[in-house]
Amino acid sequence: MNSIIVLILGALGLGVGYFWYARRIDQDIVKPDPQKATPARMYMDGVDFTPTSRNVLFGYQFKSIAALGPITGPIIAVQWGWLPALAWVILGTFFIGWVQDYGAMIMGVRREGDTMGALSYKLISPRARNILMIFLYFYLLLIMGAFGNAVGKVLMTNPKVPFGMLTVVLMGILAGQMIYRWKQDVIITTIITVVLTFVGIWISTLPFMSNIFSGLYGLPESPPWFLGNTQAQVLGTLLVIIFCYLGSVLPIWSFAQPVNYVSFWIVSLGVLGGIIGLLIWRPGMGDFPAFTQFTTASGPLWPMLFITIACGAVSGWHSLVSTSGTARQLEKETDALPVGGGAMFMEMVFAVIAFLTATVAFGSFQGYQDAGGAAKALAVFSGGLANFLNYVGIPREFGVAYGSVFLTIMALTIMQLCVRFMRVASAELVGEALPVMKNVHVGTTVALILTLIFVWVIPWLTIWSAFGASNQLMAGLALLLISLWLRAEGRKNEWALYPSIFMIVTTIAALLYLAYNNFFKALPAADTAQKSIAALLVGVIAMVLVVAAVILIADGWKALQKPQEKKAAETA
Amino acid sequence: MLVNDWDQVRSRLRRALHAAGEFVYGMTTYEWVRDLRQERGEVEHLFVLITFGDIIGLPILPPYYTLRLLPYVVPLINSWKRSLLRERDWTDLACLIEGIG
Repeated sequence: MNSIIVLILGALGLGVGYFWYARRIDQDIVKPDPQKATPARMYMDGVDFTPTSRNVLFGYQFKSIAALGPITGPIIAVQWGWLPALAWVILGTFFIGWVQDYGAMIMGVRREGDTMGALSYKLISPRARNILMIFLYFYLLLIMGAFGNAVGKVLMTNPKVPFGMLTVVLMGILAGQMIYRWKQDVIITTIITVVLTFVGIWISTLPFMSNIFSGLYGLPESPPWFLGNTQAQVLGTLLVIIFCYLGSVLPIWSFAQPVNYVSFWIVSLGVLGGIIGLLIWRPGMGDFPAFTQFTTASGPLWPMLFITIACGAVSGWHSLVSTSGTARQLEKETDALPVGGGAMFMEMVFAVIAFLTATVAFGSFQGYQDAGGAAKALAVFSGGLANFLNYVGIPREFGVAYGSVFLTIMALTIMQLCVRFMRVASAELVGEALPVMKNVHVGTTVALILTLIFVWVIPWLTIWSAFGASNQLMAGLALLLISLWLRAEGRKNEWALYPSIFMIVTTIAALLYLAYNNFFKALPAADTAQKSIAALLVGVIAMVLVVAAVILIADGWKALQKPQEKKAAETA
Repeated sequence: MLVNDWDQVRSRLRRALHAAGEFVYGMTTYEWVRDLRQERGEVEHLFVLITFGDIIGLPILPPYYTLRLLPYVVPLINSWKRSLLRERDWTDLACLIEGIG
């Protein structure tokens, strides 16, 4: 199949999904009222609650939800063949993804800007919120493990990447100083820092620079150093950890925020160049099979495909962002669909482009496997992007380094924010019993040590599956909350309830599969302490998530049975 | 007739460009603006807490100074009380982590 046909299918999914299905639900069932005061207008405080234009919010929501997830998932999932992966991206967004993002947002607006924690407390049960909090901590750990693994153990081990990454960091710091200290114009700051970053990426491809890192990494052999990880992997991971530490302890204006800003331009220009290259090239899939086999290295197609592609089809994290951030800034209720639903459909297009880097950029299934396959999904993306960029005149060698730096920095900007979040969470959770955890450096160090254990011990595909499962479980629970809210309001809720049932059943099946696989297959077969710890860790986390989900579902089911009583109690 | 059509096209183009500009702003510097607003809001709320803490049982400043500051603080009191008393949990911070997907 030609890449243009795939893009047309994506555009059709977006057009029919957004302009027909989503609009029908919005207008016939939810019936937003543009005259009704939203929390942003009712409680305007200039901080959290601020009415904002829907165009600005659309950009904000899209940037908040689209990053590494929609890139990685489809590239791993094509191991089942291109058809199941593409079908899930388009149909998942069509029937489930936008429903969750839009539903969470409009629910947040109608429930006075409540976040998922408060909503689960009020709509399900008091203990639901506590379980959600524990669940969230595990979820963040899995994100750190998954992204840390992909970056520290794959991308950073390429000697042409670390200098480019360091340049982005330095330029981010420079941008922060220029804007906040030296009061420079944003446009001038952007031009200077972005141009210098590209120069840094180019320098990183020069032989003298890559030789420095090759020497440091002990390449070409790179001997095993620690827990089965090579010298390059250990050093690459430590660089990631240092970055996250700085991102967590330094003031946000001086590090995390400007580094995010500079990396946004590096990423956007890369995506734009890649799309133009793809449109010029218009390659086909060659012999890439529509379907390979039911069971692959990640497990059986059902349920594992549906958790492998989380972001890009449906992602539970979006419901948290939609309620805590965007719902509190919506100027009108009618803006919820273009902002929440629209951004999700845009993310689907982004996922389709990532899908194309794996399926068409190498011309064959063997090409995809040679580029790294599912086990090195990010290397596949940087290679595929370099092939697209080649058609806009960018040399392939520079394109690979550029794609790798772009993915590295994309992951690192998320990871540094996750560590900040985990530091606050651990201070809240155990700060009273262990006051030392309130210390910024201690909280950060604990979070990073846990991350290192996950990164160094657990294999990439396993940790990605566990991360995907926790993400999708959150999506199922968010959809359950939306169904409960719709029922309490006396509206039709099948459009949210059926997706919720599908997501919960699929995800619990995936978690049970992961637990079974680790306890009964990986653990007995483990020949090193590292493999045993990995199998135990993943098995235990999978079971903890299953138990948490079962409690939440049981409470949710009870709440679903008596919405009227609950509504009366809340009013009282 | 043609002039009217051209005016309409130009007006639509202007609106589209404005919307595109807002979209780019939302993806780029809006986050900075939000963070700065957050910072300012927190400082303001701390200021009201110090000067009008007695509203919630914390008599920090002598009433003389409180009264002198009253005209500056009155516009903030409602949002300050709501913000201070609003129940929070970690999910309030979720919007700070961008790009998980």
